[in-house]
Amino acid sequence: MSEEKKRKKILEVKDLDITFETTAGNVHAIRGVNIDLYQGETVAIVGESGSGKSVTMRAAMGILAKNAVVNKGEIIYRYCDNIGGIDYNPEYDENAVWKEADILKMDKKWIRKHINGRRIAMVFQDPMTSLDPTMTIGKQIMEGMIWHYKIDKQDAYNRAVGLLKEVGIEDAEKRMKQYPHQLSGGMRQRVVIAIALSCNPDLLICDEPTTALDVNIQAKILELIKKVQKERDIAVIYITHDLGVVAKVADYVNVMYAGKIVEVGNINEIFYDPRHPYTWGLLSAMPDLGTDDERLYTIPGSPPNLLHEKEGDAFAPRNAYALEIDDKLDPPMFEITDTHSAATWLLDPRAPKVEMPKELKLRIERMKKEAQANGSEL
Amino acid sequence: MAANYNAEPLLEVKGLKQYFTVSKTFMVKAVDDVSFKVYPGETYGLVGESGSGKSTIGRSIIRLYDPTAGTITFNGMDISGKMSRQTQKDLRVMMQMVFQDPMASLNPRKKIKDIIGEALDIHNVCKSAAERDEKVEAILTKVGLAKEHADRYPHQFSGGQRQRVGIARALILNPKLIIADECISALDVSIQAQVVNLMKDIQEELGTAYLFIAHDLSMVKYISDRIGVLHLGHLLETGTTDEIFNNPVHPYTKSLLSAIPIPNPELEKNRIALNYDYKTSGIDYTKGTEHLIDGTHYVKCTDEEYAKWTK
Repeated sequence: MSEEKKRKKILEVKDLDITFETTAGNVHAIRGVNIDLYQGETVAIVGESGSGKSVTMRAAMGILAKNAVVNKGEIIYRYCDNIGGIDYNPEYDENAVWKEADILKMDKKWIRKHINGRRIAMVFQDPMTSLDPTMTIGKQIMEGMIWHYKIDKQDAYNRAVGLLKEVGIEDAEKRMKQYPHQLSGGMRQRVVIAIALSCNPDLLICDEPTTALDVNIQAKILELIKKVQKERDIAVIYITHDLGVVAKVADYVNVMYAGKIVEVGNINEIFYDPRHPYTWGLLSAMPDLGTDDERLYTIPGSPPNLLHEKEGDAFAPRNAYALEIDDKLDPPMFEITDTHSAATWLLDPRAPKVEMPKELKLRIERMKKEAQANGSEL
Repeated sequence: MAANYNAEPLLEVKGLKQYFTVSKTFMVKAVDDVSFKVYPGETYGLVGESGSGKSTIGRSIIRLYDPTAGTITFNGMDISGKMSRQTQKDLRVMMQMVFQDPMASLNPRKKIKDIIGEALDIHNVCKSAAERDEKVEAILTKVGLAKEHADRYPHQFSGGQRQRVGIARALILNPKLIIADECISALDVSIQAQVVNLMKDIQEELGTAYLFIAHDLSMVKYISDRIGVLHLGHLLETGTTDEIFNNPVHPYTKSLLSAIPIPNPELEKNRIALNYDYKTSGIDYTKGTEHLIDGTHYVKCTDEEYAKWTK
């Protein structure tokens, strides 16, 4: 990301608020989420299960469940009407027309035609459930291209073979005729990535893409997504709970808790200068290969049930640093730098000065030293 | 109570083979010539990727499968062949298992106290219903649940609590060895740490040994005293946690360790994990024999490989 190049915003989630209507009552799953995404950058959304990270991205794809009600908010997607076909790249076209659309206001048919798969593609957690077991790999990769761009079959076939090679599958021609069950888990996920890339999307959303895979395959898949992102200059959103994965891939990090973003910053700010007690907890709870501690740190308690909304800060009951005001009033976002802000009353000028836990502080200092020893400027 | 390495091993697996016949011409060698020991009160971690045979080993040891070859000695009894009634009964009491998915391994139609108390009924441990309730309550408090939970059903619990029920069920007969098969992989990260800490506390108090089967090396590092690395049914390297993490010898172990993402962005950004491919590595697992590195650290390889790797 060079400084001279102007950052192009392609997705903007503004004050999103979503409720699910269930038989047990209304679940307030998303409570005012803001996310900005620029071309060619990677944003990670981190949080425990049920924190609303997947729901936010499903809203951006227009594939929310039927019982979801959007109370307010906008999801502005900036796109270029590429009349030029599948290979059209607005970067090289001076007359490119840029348009904006609020995905939440568009009807399903429009989203299906213009967004899903074509401009925003998604990679899901479990490759076996996202592939059709009755269709050959080749057919599944060609399907999207033929549907969206009406290219002929031979062209689609050649492109599919090229995609398989791009994602690191050998004997691509042979694989085209095979079925998903004939491939290993890592191979299947590569196929899913090839399908996602088939229509040249501007944005790739990866929903826990490696949770179902082994560590050594996870490392390869992450390196693959990174390589493809660089070559094609696309934006990537990672939804994950693994901070190790985040450290490897992300430029910016959003930490979510109970349907709210509690801390946002660039990768170094989140890892080396975290401000929210929940982020402290998450970082402390990571198993650290560098120490010989006998016990793992845990965040006490469990995530709140959003069926029963709580007054004040949702994290307060699990927060050792909670102030009295946390039980009464939800904290706003306090800005720390241009890119870094956190929702905790501890950052209010009137709050008592609280430092992060000592163990975490030592750990961050050690991490910084290790990074400096490897030539980084921190 | 710390692990006792001077005592007789609690579990000794020697040359265990577990083959499955798929068809007349095709046989899957899920576990091929695996030997290791588990001492009283220690945690032995078995790690490997999916398909490496780690779960099969657990299931062969608790005799859900009949081993094809090899001997398994548990608490002085030979449990690999046909067992006498008494041996079978002892095995079922002294060895217990905790499964991966707590929702799938708890009967949804039974109350927690009946799920946990079932073992007590089968083995006629309690004389009265009151005694049984008392025992169930005691074990519930031990795993960090309240006695009010005894009358609830599995669906009324969160994932972490359900896994605690699974652990309580395994503990009720006071076993000597618990086989934990991927028992934390289905849980959220923050809950994983809670369950691992609980298992450590219980071990300290009761001296139970664990055979901890997992693919997440960073968690295994926290809980295990010793580790065995499996690949394609072969136990490639075994040693104490320090020996494996600080001085990995086998290329597969090295690649496995390098694949763990380090939560340090400046380091991790440009790091590429080591690549290991069995087919192109030129290593033949079947030719390897056990070589001692030092202490309790063994690696399975041929003499030439040993000379090359330890140079």
